[in-house]
Amino acid sequence: MSSDKGNASNKSFGQQLSARARSAMKSQGAGVIVFLLLIIVFFSIFAPHFMSMQNVKNILFSAAVLAIAAVGESLVLLTGNYDLSVGSIVGIVAFISYDVCSKAPGLGYIVVIFGLVFGILLGAFNGFLVGYLKIPSMVATLGTLSVYRGLDSLYAGSREVTKNQIPHWVNVFAPSTFLGIPSYVWICLILCVVASFFLFYRPSGRMLYAYGSNPKAAESFGLKSPRIIFGAYTLSGLLAGFVGILMGAQVGTINSVMGNGYEMEVIAAAVIGGVSLWGGVGTPAGAMLGALVYACLDNGLILIGVNEYFRLIFQGVAVIAAVGVDAFIRMQSARFSTRHAILEVQA
Amino acid sequence: MKSFIRRYQWQEVLIGLLVIAVFIGTQLSPYFLNYLNLANSSVTFVPTALMGLGLFPIVVLGEIDISLTSTLAVSAVLYARCWEAGMPVVEGALISLAVAVVMGVVNGVLVAVAKLPSMAVTLGTMGAYRGAAYLIAGDAGINGIEGGYASLGSTWVGYIPVPVLVFAIVAFVIWVIMAKTNYGQYCYAIGNQAPAVKSAGISITFVKIVAYVLGAVTAWLAGVVWAGQYASARGDNADGTIMLVLTIVVLGGVSIFGGSGLTSGVVLAVALLFVVQSAMSLANVPGTTQTLISGLILLIAIVLPNLSRLKELIVKKPTTK
Repeated sequence: MSSDKGNASNKSFGQQLSARARSAMKSQGAGVIVFLLLIIVFFSIFAPHFMSMQNVKNILFSAAVLAIAAVGESLVLLTGNYDLSVGSIVGIVAFISYDVCSKAPGLGYIVVIFGLVFGILLGAFNGFLVGYLKIPSMVATLGTLSVYRGLDSLYAGSREVTKNQIPHWVNVFAPSTFLGIPSYVWICLILCVVASFFLFYRPSGRMLYAYGSNPKAAESFGLKSPRIIFGAYTLSGLLAGFVGILMGAQVGTINSVMGNGYEMEVIAAAVIGGVSLWGGVGTPAGAMLGALVYACLDNGLILIGVNEYFRLIFQGVAVIAAVGVDAFIRMQSARFSTRHAILEVQA
Repeated sequence: MKSFIRRYQWQEVLIGLLVIAVFIGTQLSPYFLNYLNLANSSVTFVPTALMGLGLFPIVVLGEIDISLTSTLAVSAVLYARCWEAGMPVVEGALISLAVAVVMGVVNGVLVAVAKLPSMAVTLGTMGAYRGAAYLIAGDAGINGIEGGYASLGSTWVGYIPVPVLVFAIVAFVIWVIMAKTNYGQYCYAIGNQAPAVKSAGISITFVKIVAYVLGAVTAWLAGVVWAGQYASARGDNADGTIMLVLTIVVLGGVSIFGGSGLTSGVVLAVALLFVVQSAMSLANVPGTTQTLISGLILLIAIVLPNLSRLKELIVKKPTTK
């Protein structure tokens, strides 16, 4: 009769999905951690100063920022869509926020709010295009990538925002540490906890997973897909805007090409961290780990002295390799769940 | 007659827009319809247009390739390096062509054999190929290309620039392939109902790989034209212009979901976008604004067919409490 697996019909749709998703994620999460450890060991041996205090701080800085963007992107990926405009949102929010706030010194404290609201608006527009107008996400966000970048260039011209124009408190905050760990990392960790809570324990978060796993089934359950997609893109825009503020503070000099091509790193980080491009699978913690892996790889390659162009090749290969592994795992778990379903029927 | 009008509806819209655009162009500048001006500026548009033709079959299949611009760059710098090394034109062309074909095969295999999503694959190869282009070109690129190597990009045949002739020939070839061969029919079929095609015994894998190779070859051709007309090649050639290429295809009436779209549409879209770009250049609109406007055109071109769906969403009333 019914085994300790639990009778399927007693659990709610969302509960079933998150249970299965969670077990799949656990095995993926383990794989990523193993990979991370391997990388750390490899570079500790072959790269000078890889494990030095300063270098670890560098890695954590770029990983933290990338992780926040990756968490945002993973929200969109969970619904089965892409957000290719991340880099442009990061760039335009950074430039305009800091530029506006540098012109009116009293606004220095608002720069973060400004950036977040701006990010929300840009993300919402994406969400409108994909969720309500049903434009395929890759085309819509490819378009907004150019439109946002174009607006950024138009606004910026050839100007730059330099370090002394950035509000003072930002300059102080960026490199600061709390209990020995950079503030950026704290922000990233808190964000990850919040995002995980939202995705696993709030109905709207679970709707994201439900929709991404099986859009048609979700819709016949009454889940409103335009709203889910719109929400995912808006949140992704919010986080991308946040990254813009953080990155601007980190980089020091902001120009109109900042963030160019960033979407590749972001997607690579998310996919390495186990977020599936087919939707429905992945966690914020995974995206964070993926960002850490990516940052370690990039940093390690720099330390070994690999040419910057080779690193560009590497970025591309990383995306493909991560997607390939994701596809492979998906294929394996599909076989597993078929067997699982047969066993349940037999029970 | 009626079916002719219905079948070419989109093309008629494009022709209408083209007429309007030309009219606006003449208002913006007295030099707009000057033949020499048009001919010269059309040469710079040819590489993008060629890639548009190459992307067309891939989109009909229901896939995408955003690495074409990077393939152009690799082809251009490799071709230029061969010139630098003193190789005869034919050899240089063949070597760069071979490499472009390999790049297309890589894309095709990853999409058709490994069954990875084409967006992600070509996102990755876009970066990887771009890196390769930078590596081959070095920091300074290659300059001063002349002679046989530059012939495809900078010479004229009578009153027509050779690049425009190249575009016309490629457009004709693509038309023949898509409209008159079995292969073309397979592409439309796969874009519409892939499972049915598989049951019919046709190798989807083969069709897709060929499509990606075709795209890479047009990108190679675009690279050769580029190297000839600018007499130089750098790692960042055509970087960031993939959106314009996609706009050409989508504006040409090719559904992004695959399964429909005609060569005539793509050619008209090329003409329309060329006119729009020329008008903007003559009106001294800065390059970044031009990209912005092209992005807006892309969005509008996609939204328009879907507007009826939007109306549905607004008008629809909830059927349950």
